[in-house]
This record gives sequence, structure tokens and C-alpha cells, in this order.
Amino acid sequence: MSGVDLSLERLLFNLNTLAELGEEITSPKDFTRVVKSSLYMVMGTFSASKGIVFQYDQGDGLFTQIASKGLTDVRGAGLKIGKDAASAIIRNNKPVDLKSADPIIALLGPGREFLERLGARVLAFLIVKDELLGLIAISDKFSGEDYTLYDYQLLSVMGQHISFSLHSHTLLMRLMYRYNENKGLYENLRRIYYDTIHAFAAAIDAKDAYTKGHSHRVSSYSAAVAREMGWSADDIEGIRISGLLHDIGKIAVDKSIINKASPLTSNECKELNSHPVIGYEILSRIKFPWKGIPMMTRNHHEKVDGSGYPDRLKKHDIPMGARIMALVDAFDAMTTDRPYRPRLSFREAIDEVKDHYNRQFDPEVVRPFISVIRKEVLSEVENPTIVPLMHEHLDPVTLSRILEGFPH
Amino acid sequence: MAGRHRHRETGTSVVVYADNYINDIEGEKLEEMCDAFLAKGFKKIVIDFSGTDLVNSIGVSILIGIIEKIKGKGAVVFSGLKDVNFQIFHIVGLTRHIRVFNNEEDALKGSASCDGASL
Ligand SMILES: [Fe+2]
Repeated sequence: MSGVDLSLERLLFNLNTLAELGEEITSPKDFTRVVKSSLYMVMGTFSASKGIVFQYDQGDGLFTQIASKGLTDVRGAGLKIGKDAASAIIRNNKPVDLKSADPIIALLGPGREFLERLGARVLAFLIVKDELLGLIAISDKFSGEDYTLYDYQLLSVMGQHISFSLHSHTLLMRLMYRYNENKGLYENLRRIYYDTIHAFAAAIDAKDAYTKGHSHRVSSYSAAVAREMGWSADDIEGIRISGLLHDIGKIAVDKSIINKASPLTSNECKELNSHPVIGYEILSRIKFPWKGIPMMTRNHHEKVDGSGYPDRLKKHDIPMGARIMALVDAFDAMTTDRPYRPRLSFREAIDEVKDHYNRQFDPEVVRPFISVIRKEVLSEVENPTIVPLMHEHLDPVTLSRILEGFPH
Repeated sequence: MAGRHRHRETGTSVVVYADNYINDIEGEKLEEMCDAFLAKGFKKIVIDFSGTDLVNSIGVSILIGIIEKIKGKGAVVFSGLKDVNFQIFHIVGLTRHIRVFNNEEDALKGSASCDGASL
């Protein structure tokens, strides 16, 4: 295993595949088709010319082939492992190199030779909740390159996706469909998306020393406001993801501009202001399972009076999600230190919001935003997201004084 | 089967248009289609991507399948790649094995045998 240059293009290609894989395995298409598509996605991701998926039967310890590509003959001796080997594989729970000295390989017994004959190189076991469900084996890369550490991690994530699909299928086969259990799995699946996108958002934030965690805050604040506005669970999830990715276009902006303490020249300003459009271009290439993410990103710097950028849209032409993000993005920028100024106090930030009410910020968004803050201060919500991140204590009396004169 | 997907025969070469069906497992039919063209005596297959928006991972695996399938039987070259698709082919290592031409005309003009360039 070796390191790899993680270019933006590679990340996007992989992120896109994860989104498609998620869509595929939650689709109502027939099981064999889903498994086949999933296998092709894994193979395309690593440019493997051969690949095979097996389903494992705990009863007799046999692996049965359920999909393959690039293999001429997969008949003959099969793959069989005992209970102890299965438990060791479950404990290990990560992809292994068939040519390595990994003790897991030794547990395969004659199965190792069988897999080698098929041309397998890397094995990812499909495991859900301490249960071995199957195995996906892929060949060396067509490009002749080695598998990298990143490849192993990505294969592991894809393997988890496919495991879920196998698991739900197995459950159905056993007529043991349990709603709650499956609901838990579904949440797990979303977690994988989050983990991948979070990692990606962290990379964006890392570029900007002063905005550590900015994307994460914009994400959770937006979700809180959307929830207050009565959005559906799916749409809330969408704006959460959008918040994480809203500044993705900054990847293309020179780091020295982002972190500059002195005022920007007009050219630098132009470059920085191009980030919503670049972000839009990047994200519109990804097939997300949520609606509106590219447009929310494009329009998160619009102002309701039409003086924002890049499209100078007026209130009703700005997607609601972008109006939410515009407010919480500005609010977070005000309440955290920036290269050119220290952070404002909560009162000063609220005064700014008041000053720009109905000019920069949409009243329809400001009202629920304020009501989220009020509920959080009054401890009326279970998981407060905004108030705990303010650097000062807010009690109901101080808050109502700060909010005085605020249009309800 | 060979008539199902958009293609154009010219001399000993044939241009196959990948369009967007390359991104679905059904696109695998292209593999047999290319194989059939070579069996009929065509020497070179140009896969043209000018009508393809974005090749996904399924598309990549299908292309690798095609290349493996016709290895040693004829030449395969690519044409009409949008920037984003060129980048994807670069990432997955396809550009290291396949000659890429700007458009199908250039691809047809390129040497008919393409000696090992296809592999
Ligand atoms: Fe921004």
C-alpha cells in the first residue's frame, strides 16, 4: 500500500459513486441487479478488470457466487470456511490483500487458491452487526497501480453499503423483517454518507485557518432553522449536507486570499466571490440523493434586496434553502474570529441581523431562526445547536432584552 | 444486437457512440457488439464520447470489460472526451492504455492497427 495524490477530481468521482451506490441499494430494483450494479461500481472505482460477489451461508459455511464480471469460469471448488474463521473475519472487519501475510488469508484454507485462480487480489468481507453475509473480491487494477491505503478505506465504505443491501435481502429471505431494526440500518447508511462528506468538509475547512468548523456549524444551524420551519426529514437532511459543502468552491480559491488579514484587492475579491459558482459547478456533477444542493450552494451569498452575488436574485427567486444558509453563514461569520476582525458578541451579531432585516436577510428565515434561539435558551429543545456554541451565557432575561424591538 | 446502439461503419473501422447508456449495466451489451464487429472483420473500434455527459464507475468497468474482451483481436481508441471524462479516465488509469483523440475523424485517421497502443 502506498500514498496517493487525493485530487479533487478523484474525490468527486468517488463521492459521486457513493451517492449512486446509496441510491442503487435503496432502490426497489430486483436484488440480483442491485448486487451486479454495485459490483460494477466497485470495479470501476478501482479499475479492476475482474470481480465477484459471494453470499455466505452461516449454516453450511459455504460462499455462493451471486454476481461476477470479467471471469470466464467460476465453477469448480468453492469457498468454505468454519465458524472460527468466520468470527475472526468479523473481528478483523477490514479489506485484506490476498497476497499479503495477513492471518485472515491463512484462515481461508484451500479457498485461497480458489480465489487466486479467479484472479482475485483484494477481499472485502460483507459484515453487518457481527454477522458475516458475504464477500466481494476484486482483481489487480487494470492500470497496474497498487492499491493504496485510501483505496482500502474507500472499499471498506463501499463494502458496508453493499452489506446493508445484502442484509435487508437476507432478512426478507428469512421472513424476519423487523421494521425497527431496518430503520436502524437505514440511519447507519446515512451515517456513511455523513462520514464521507464530513471528511470532505473538514478538508475544505482546513484550507481556511480561521473558519475551522464553519461548514459544520452552517450545516447544523441550517438544519435547526429548516426543522423549525417544518421541513420534511429528507429536506432537512439535504440542507444539512448542503451546509457541509456550501464553501466547496473555495477549494479552487488561493489559500492566501482566504486567510488574508488586509482588505482584498478587487481581483482578489472577484476570485473569492467566484466560490459559489465554482461550488455549483462541482456539485451539479454529483448525483445526490437529496434535492437542491447545487442551487443552495450557488445562491448562499444572495441578498433578498437583490444586491448579493452571483446572480443578484431577489427574495422569491432565491431558493429557500439558500436564504436559510445566507443567514446562518453570516451569523457564524460574525460570531467567530476572522483574519480581519475579532468576533462580535451575540448582541452585536443580533443587532447586525436586525439592521439588515429584509435587506440582506429574509424575514421568513430570521423569524424561525430567532425562535430556535429562544427555544434553546428556554431549554425547550432536546439538542440545542446554536446557543451552546456562543461564547457567552444566555439566559431568558438577557435574551429578551437583546431581542427587544425585533419584529415578530 | 449489433444494431441496437448508435454506430457508424467506415472502411475497416467502426465508430461506436457511448452516449449515456454506458453508465448502466445494460451498457455491457456494447462488449458483445464490439466483439461481433471484430469477428466480422473490422480492425479498429473508435468509442466516441461526444454524446456522453459524465462517465460513472459502472461506465468505467464496462469500458475495461470491452478492452479486455477485444485484447489481441483488434484496436480500440477513444474520441470526443469532455474534460471531466478525460479526468475520470486519467484517474482510473484508462488514458495510460488507450489512445485518446479529439474527435472521431482524428481517431479514424490515426494508424489503423494502433499496434499495442490499445492495450
Ligand atoms: Fe460562502
